[in-house]
Amino acid sequence: MTDVLNALVLFANFIFVPALTYGSQLALGALGVTMIYSVLRFSNFAQGETMAFGTVITILGTWGLQALGVNLGFLPTALLALPLGIAVTAGLLLLTDKYVYRYYRTQRSASITFVMASLGVMFIMNGLIRLILGPGDQNFTDGERFVLSASAFKEWSGLDEVLVIRTTQALTVILAIILVALLFWFLQKTKTGKAMRAYADNENLALLSGINPDRIVMITWIITAAFATTAGVLYGLDKGYKPLAYFHLLLPIFAAVIVGGIGRPIGAIAGGFIIAFSEVILTYAYKKFLAYLLPSDLAPDGLVQLLSTEYKLAISFIILVVVLLIKPTGLFKGKVI
Amino acid sequence: MKRLVLASVILAGLSTAVWAEEDVKIGVLMGFTGPIESLAPTMAGSAELALKEISDSGAFLGGKKIVPVRADSSCVDAAAATATAERLASSEKVVAFIGPTCSGETTAVVNNVSAPNGIPTISPSATSPALTTVEDKGVFFRTAPSDARQGEVLAQVAKDRGINEIAITYTNNDYGKGLSESFSKAFEKLGGKVTINAAHEDGKADYSAEVAALAASGAKDLAVFGYLDQGGKGIIQNALDTGAFKRFVMGDGMVGEKLAADLGKDMEGSFGTMAGGEYAGSEAWNKIAESAKIDPKGGPYRAESYDAAAVLALAMQAAKSTDRAAIIAKIKEVANAPGEKILPGELGKGLKILADGGDIDYVGATNIEFDDVGDVPGSYREMEIKEGKFESVKTH
Amino acid sequence: MSQRPHEIARGNYYLRVIVVFTLMAGLLALVGFMQSWSLALTIVNLCLISAVMALGVNIQWGFAGLFNVGIMGFAALGGLAVLLVAMPPVKEAWAAGGIRVIFALIIFTAAIALTLHTHKRLKGKRGHGLALSAILIVGIIISRFVLDPGVAAIEAVNPSSTGYLGGLGLPVVFAWLVGGALAAGVAWLIGKITLGLRADYLAIATLGISEILVAVMRNEDWLTRGVKNVTNLPRPVPYEIELQQAPWFIDLVARWNADSLGLLGESARASALQPLLIEGSTIFVKLCYAGLFLVVLLVIYQLAELALNSPWGRMVRAIRDNEVAADAMGKDVTGRHLQIFVLGSAVVGIAGAMLVTLDSQFTPGSYNPLRYTFLIWVMVIVGGSGNNLGAIIGGFLVWFIWVEAEPIGFWFISLLTSGMGDDNGLRKHLLDSAQYMRVIIMGSVLLLVMRFSPWGILPEQTKQFK
Repeated sequence: MTDVLNALVLFANFIFVPALTYGSQLALGALGVTMIYSVLRFSNFAQGETMAFGTVITILGTWGLQALGVNLGFLPTALLALPLGIAVTAGLLLLTDKYVYRYYRTQRSASITFVMASLGVMFIMNGLIRLILGPGDQNFTDGERFVLSASAFKEWSGLDEVLVIRTTQALTVILAIILVALLFWFLQKTKTGKAMRAYADNENLALLSGINPDRIVMITWIITAAFATTAGVLYGLDKGYKPLAYFHLLLPIFAAVIVGGIGRPIGAIAGGFIIAFSEVILTYAYKKFLAYLLPSDLAPDGLVQLLSTEYKLAISFIILVVVLLIKPTGLFKGKVI
Repeated sequence: MKRLVLASVILAGLSTAVWAEEDVKIGVLMGFTGPIESLAPTMAGSAELALKEISDSGAFLGGKKIVPVRADSSCVDAAAATATAERLASSEKVVAFIGPTCSGETTAVVNNVSAPNGIPTISPSATSPALTTVEDKGVFFRTAPSDARQGEVLAQVAKDRGINEIAITYTNNDYGKGLSESFSKAFEKLGGKVTINAAHEDGKADYSAEVAALAASGAKDLAVFGYLDQGGKGIIQNALDTGAFKRFVMGDGMVGEKLAADLGKDMEGSFGTMAGGEYAGSEAWNKIAESAKIDPKGGPYRAESYDAAAVLALAMQAAKSTDRAAIIAKIKEVANAPGEKILPGELGKGLKILADGGDIDYVGATNIEFDDVGDVPGSYREMEIKEGKFESVKTH
Repeated sequence: MSQRPHEIARGNYYLRVIVVFTLMAGLLALVGFMQSWSLALTIVNLCLISAVMALGVNIQWGFAGLFNVGIMGFAALGGLAVLLVAMPPVKEAWAAGGIRVIFALIIFTAAIALTLHTHKRLKGKRGHGLALSAILIVGIIISRFVLDPGVAAIEAVNPSSTGYLGGLGLPVVFAWLVGGALAAGVAWLIGKITLGLRADYLAIATLGISEILVAVMRNEDWLTRGVKNVTNLPRPVPYEIELQQAPWFIDLVARWNADSLGLLGESARASALQPLLIEGSTIFVKLCYAGLFLVVLLVIYQLAELALNSPWGRMVRAIRDNEVAADAMGKDVTGRHLQIFVLGSAVVGIAGAMLVTLDSQFTPGSYNPLRYTFLIWVMVIVGGSGNNLGAIIGGFLVWFIWVEAEPIGFWFISLLTSGMGDDNGLRKHLLDSAQYMRVIIMGSVLLLVMRFSPWGILPEQTKQFK
């Protein structure tokens, strides 16, 4: 019995909790991409840099607050600075919309034109975030580090294996749930949310029924800013801020969006978790896990690892390709433009 | 119209600052963007400290100044690194390179620019064993030792501390891979067992999968061959958080105060090796660096950068010219014994001795002594984390 | 999805072509005069390679509207071909595990073939997917079982200098063709899988597949040495050092500079000759490369033009402009797309091979999407998609800016901040960050061109060259 419990704790500690956290971060980022796609109808390549930008502003705000001696007790101070990050990021995104994307909207340009424009925005923001805060890593986490620490767990359970939950992990999952709930409530229940869905489903029909497109677009950018900044800050709290890592986040985020079906919020969330869990599950070495479960003479000698971790990033794309082969528009029937 | 504006912008850009005629230019060719973008600025800063010291002494080539020209070698893009080196060499007319920084681009620059043009090139950080045999026509030196020996030293240290089973993770580039190979070979030769030898990518989103696989291998200790502000730190952080490992064995890219400051108190008893011994020059270098607000132990390759710059300038002084071939001929002479020993901060004294026709042995911050192929033999310091700080245990 | 570009009158178009290319040549000449000719030639060589790569993307996007964001993977495949063709074989490694590797590859290919065969036989029947994946997984497991010990043996052969199988030891220029063929072969496979997908799905799928390709090259050391890199690839042109000692070359340089050298005495002459020899040899080598690349570029350009203006090319463009109508008229849309995908990828592969040849090293770790995918796309969009000349000028201009952006960025920042004192913290911070201006300038150029000349510098000409 203890062995089974040990195996379960091992599984939770190394697979379930990390994948759940990472999946939440991906899901929030993917939601931003998918919102842009459904309303503005293009894949936003600047999403990774947007997340980084929001994080940069939040870090600056956090430092300011820390200098003033403000803190949140056991929670990280960055949470207080988060609204500032979201506001500034929303401002920047609205500026890019005004000076870059709006023109192509009035021209009714092809989707690819927007994608290319977002590439240009990505290049500029890529340089901008490094101009502001440099290329190095920044650690801005404070407050209590663990909700459940290794020693506390050991004392409580008396098992060999331990389960650890960090504050940032708990925070990530909780905030993600709150944000997603808010988003769905907004889309389903409020007038603006309904208008947004109508606009996303059929632009012309929505315009005919008197929906103001500029307002829809503006709100979309603000929501994107909120999701991107929150995802970026949570990721940064959990693993440290580093501009290059945010650029690399773009790839798994895109994979998540596409696997779920682009333009479908629920797909983005599912996609985020599928990518995160499959990365960990497929590259985990099950030796210890099986050693707990199997009788000792059957315990494996090798690592029992399906794929080496070198192929971790590739896994998200292998899954992507496999899903697309079976369901060409993703699991939740994504949009096609 | 746009093109006109563009053209005039470029025109103006090309005709950048005109330097005073007698100043000597040295290229600081480092990976300011790309994977080591966070290490490069301080390395360049350290190198420029030496150049400033030389210029301020007033004794360099009869009172000339050295002007550093920073340029981005990108670390990974061989084509861009070559083009940038070419620009420094032929347009900025630098007499020598400090850099490049990563082993891959270094091979490209040495093969395509330095060797054909005969430009003295001293890298402070390219540590791949393959560079020992690069066909450099004698132009290439490095102040950081090749990784081949470090692996052996570290394996011995680990074995001496009673580790018999170990998991290894390395940053997936020629540095990490080379070091992990030499370590695991040496460790197995000593009778140890490597349970898993897995790569991690720098700057990637998440390291849970890597740590999970490493932990599952059953080993109690983890060897990390990466960078302390990159994936290596991410791995350690994650391993500590999940309680997977408590003791870490680290290569030189991981040993730095920043790591100890961030995570040190949780990784008590972890140890590693870093290039350098307890040198006469270490103390002097620490002082210089601290006065310039550079943390001498905050990251790798800082002292090496200072030394690379100092050696180049001293070789110029010895050659009494800025002719590239003449400088190359003098590099070993100023860096190796015999001669008056020169420590960091004593560059002015060295310049004067050379001007008077004397002989010097630049010891520098890292005991520079070049062998026939331009490598430094490399002694290593065994560092252990005690009470949240790296402490030097002994020299190997 | 695609709109008709704004047509420019024929005469204006030709004028624009001439002006644009003259300006580009002028910019490069400017580098030659103000910086150095050696640098100018280095830039030209990379411009030529970029132009070829941009042509490949233009064939896919400009002609057929295929949104391929996997350029990096095909460029890397081209590079791999250079290594496989030109490096000498490592005999010990072949002896240690060569047979196992070949055997494993045969098993793997057989498994794929069997899968495809079953796919045909079982199409539409129950358990179809299950059977396919079973065959594939068993095939992979068996081939890995055979492969792994062989790989271990190969990688153990002198790991610090070889540890891989090596290549065939053939002339390196031949590798450019092989690079194209290899990229084409892989593109065919990928195309078979992905070309049914629509716009953005195809884009992300190709982006992902290129990451998978590069991941394989980074990690399969027995094939590529992985991140340990393969350096000193053979060159198609002479080495500078050899030239500097070759009597014919010394003679050539001496005669070239006869005027200035003639005035000097014997000993002064020798010492004056040395720097000239060094400079001459580097320029000579670069000219050789430039000649080779130019030939490749012209041949590919000519072929692309012929194809574009053939009935086949018209059909492809018709499909691009209205896929549904073309499909309704019985045109084989997916078939044409596959052809285009393979052709374009082959061109990118050739360019990738040339790039690795120029660097004379294969570094799998250096392939990143920013430089090898997105930058190439910027070239095509800035140059003018659908226009081969546009792609070429885009390749030239964008690479030029990419290289020269750093000095320009530095100059720009020092100008902007010249009002501040030398010790001003902000000015110092900005000057230290000048290298990030490269991406900012690149992004601005892209956005400006897209805004004010949406069809690129040289827009597509639909009725040209009849």
